[in-house]
Amino acid sequence: MSRTKNKLVSQSHTTTKAGTDSVLESQPLHRSRRDFLKTTGAAGVTILVAGSGLAAVREASAAARKGGTLVHLIQPEVPTLATYLSTSSPVSQGGTRAYSGLLEYDFDLNPQPSLAESWSVSEDGLTAQFKLRKGIKFHDGHPLTSADVKYTIMEVLKQVHPRGPNSFREVQEIETPDEQTVILRLEHPAPYMMTAFSSYESPIVPKHLFEGKDLRNLPYANAPVGSGPYKFVEWKRGQYIRYDRFDDYYKADMPAIDRLVQRSIADSATRTAVLERGEVHLTGFGGVPYSDAVALEKLPHLEVTTDGYEMFSTMVWLEFNTRKAPFDNQKVRQAVAYAMERQWIIDNVWFRFGKVATGPINSNIKHLYTSEVRNYEVADGLEKANQLLDEAGYKRNADGVRFEITHDLTPYGEEWQRFGEYVKQRLDRLGIKVTLRYEDVATWLRRIYTDYDFQVTSNWLHGFADPVIGVHRAYHSRSIRQGTVFVNGSGWSSPETDKLMDDAGVEPDPKRRAELYKEFQQLVVEASPIAWIHEIKFPTVYNNMFSDVITSPLGILGALDRVHLS
Amino acid sequence: MSLARKRVHYAGRRLAQAVPIVLGIVVMNFLLLQLAPGDAADVLAGEAGSATPEYMAMLRERFGLDQPVWLQLLIYVKNILSLDLGFSFRHNMPVLELIMERLWPTLLLMGATLLLSVGVGILLGLLAAARVNTWRDTFISVLAIISYATPLFWVGLMLIVVFSLKFDWLPATGMESVAMFYEGWDRVVDIARHLVLPAITLSLFYLALYTRLMRAAMLEQYGMDYVVTARAKGVTEQRITFKHVVRNAVLPVVTMAGIQVGSLLGGSVVVESVFGWPGLGLLAFQSLFARDFNLLLGIFFLSACLVILVNLLVDLLYTFLDPRIEMK
Repeated sequence: MSRTKNKLVSQSHTTTKAGTDSVLESQPLHRSRRDFLKTTGAAGVTILVAGSGLAAVREASAAARKGGTLVHLIQPEVPTLATYLSTSSPVSQGGTRAYSGLLEYDFDLNPQPSLAESWSVSEDGLTAQFKLRKGIKFHDGHPLTSADVKYTIMEVLKQVHPRGPNSFREVQEIETPDEQTVILRLEHPAPYMMTAFSSYESPIVPKHLFEGKDLRNLPYANAPVGSGPYKFVEWKRGQYIRYDRFDDYYKADMPAIDRLVQRSIADSATRTAVLERGEVHLTGFGGVPYSDAVALEKLPHLEVTTDGYEMFSTMVWLEFNTRKAPFDNQKVRQAVAYAMERQWIIDNVWFRFGKVATGPINSNIKHLYTSEVRNYEVADGLEKANQLLDEAGYKRNADGVRFEITHDLTPYGEEWQRFGEYVKQRLDRLGIKVTLRYEDVATWLRRIYTDYDFQVTSNWLHGFADPVIGVHRAYHSRSIRQGTVFVNGSGWSSPETDKLMDDAGVEPDPKRRAELYKEFQQLVVEASPIAWIHEIKFPTVYNNMFSDVITSPLGILGALDRVHLS
Repeated sequence: MSLARKRVHYAGRRLAQAVPIVLGIVVMNFLLLQLAPGDAADVLAGEAGSATPEYMAMLRERFGLDQPVWLQLLIYVKNILSLDLGFSFRHNMPVLELIMERLWPTLLLMGATLLLSVGVGILLGLLAAARVNTWRDTFISVLAIISYATPLFWVGLMLIVVFSLKFDWLPATGMESVAMFYEGWDRVVDIARHLVLPAITLSLFYLALYTRLMRAAMLEQYGMDYVVTARAKGVTEQRITFKHVVRNAVLPVVTMAGIQVGSLLGGSVVVESVFGWPGLGLLAFQSLFARDFNLLLGIFFLSACLVILVNLLVDLLYTFLDPRIEMK
């Protein structure tokens, strides 16, 4: 019922705007006039309105700011819009538009005001206080207050969110002395927590709609109500999701565009074609293959950027099963790490969309990263590797083979197959005979994280903005959790590194924290349970009829509230 | 009994027989899907990029995956019997609702494809058989073989490149123009324009099949005694072809078309993914990889019903085409 009503309202809104929009969004230029005529005819508006539409175009090109429809291509298809239940890329790309968070972040991952206009953390790190702006409204007109924030963190994020229980694990209690003040009381200091307040990571949901209901079965999962820049209008399954500008958005004059439409297309070649044709304007996070991104960059109306993934710190690596021979032996793991030519892999397999990785912490996290670790990216890597294998006691037989292994490939696209082929050929030169195995996602996850039935697999994990959130899970002994995916699959841990992670997790002093993590990085890189290959630089492709598209380290998962017509 | 009553009676009996068949299919599908390693919780958490163990345990409990398989099956069959297709946790929606939203685009594409491929296939087969072993026959046969042998996705992409990118005559993807919000006739025209390329792509493959089948059936019929008799009686060639031969030759084509309705659902996966058509095939494909078995079983159930229904219609159609065939 409410959906029908929404649709009617939005359509009357469309009729008045149709003329202007379609002209502005049409790309390439020669299409615009025809589409324009078509739309005005279809909407049944008179020549008079059409005339004013043209006037609006001229005005728009002079001011070049307001109006327009941005079509965002999401890959794979969006299953739900419940970003409080899932952090998967399609769900977040689909749903984050509707929500706001307490904070935003600049490209160096420093907090910036959002719903909260100011904030402070006490010296001992046990209290965090946020001051909300006045007059913030949800899309249904209900005011957003400290009570909504408290409810969101305590009852939603800490209960049903995939990462919330970890991010907010130290939060004991939340006080709300008035409608604008939120005070978080922590059991131990949680320096990482301040990176988890974005609209993507911790969307603030409306208490008055959620409270007392089954959070896993809410109508708002597929028709979100938040306080974000865009208001949900309708979702035609398999076709599009439509958002309109939220007029009462708390940032004045934002967003500048009228409408945001999200689509999915399963075939990657078609995705590239519609970007080229201008039917869609924006895609990221693997929306187009790396090879196509290189080609699209050459087109005059498309831009390709690798900004906007700083908060994900995504890394590509080879993960060893350290429970079994031969990779229970540190020297064998180091040998494989030495054998990899990281820059070559980036240049040839990932079409230059990457940066050489040196260890467990991504170089994005500037204040905690160190490059002072054992360096595996050396010119004489093969000799070093052969020497290590000899020392480990794996001698070559008459055919020059030391041992045979099966290499599992993470099933997320073609580049992983090419990477696997590279590994096979490269290890062949060490006398390691490799068989490749490629399965579907569910089978692979079961094999790596439940059955532990593998020897070495390619893998990629997001490191996020703080090691506690994204890095600990791959190295801590507590993260060896059978049946839980994307945790410590290698089975490696050590009491020293466990302690370093535990201490750094509750260390409020940034300098001391950096020292703890430096030691941690040196120890883990030496043990090499994982051979880190590179930090992925995902390409985002957008049509340059729009400007200020990527303005946050969350990129297309940011608010997208600053985007406007060029 | 009048013929009409006989038909109703026949249809009723066939439908009653279909119930145990569908039930058997449901049970078999359910058991087959259990063989796939990994479950929906793995995939959901995998997509999230990270999860706590508690989160995963909660997912499994909620999906009923912590129950033994026989109990899950029992519950599922019980629900199916009360026509409840269950809930898709991945989409946070009842399965029936999800399927219904995509059903009509699927039927539209299937219907258009069936009409186009059967219609044009019969025509081409007829043309080829009427002038057998001439250049026309050879030309049609070669065409049929090429379109049969060309991969669907390639045809689709080439059509997009030529008719969308190059000439800009037809839209490349989707079922409707996004953000245009057409009403009435404009909407019909808009959808029809979007339908052209996917329907042609999907038709090409089946068209070739029907052309070959029609040609062979026609040639067989031409050699029959009744044709010789008709010729001896002085009936014109045209009348022999249209009144006698075509009517008989169409029977195998119709049979084939009925059988292929099922595979049309599957074959449309490729076309749906290339053209972004919001159909059931792609939904089924995605739910297999997501281990969203409630949804997948729902789609299987629906397509089983669809195939049974279409085959019943085909059988009824026989009696119209050939009155000698009796309903037993």
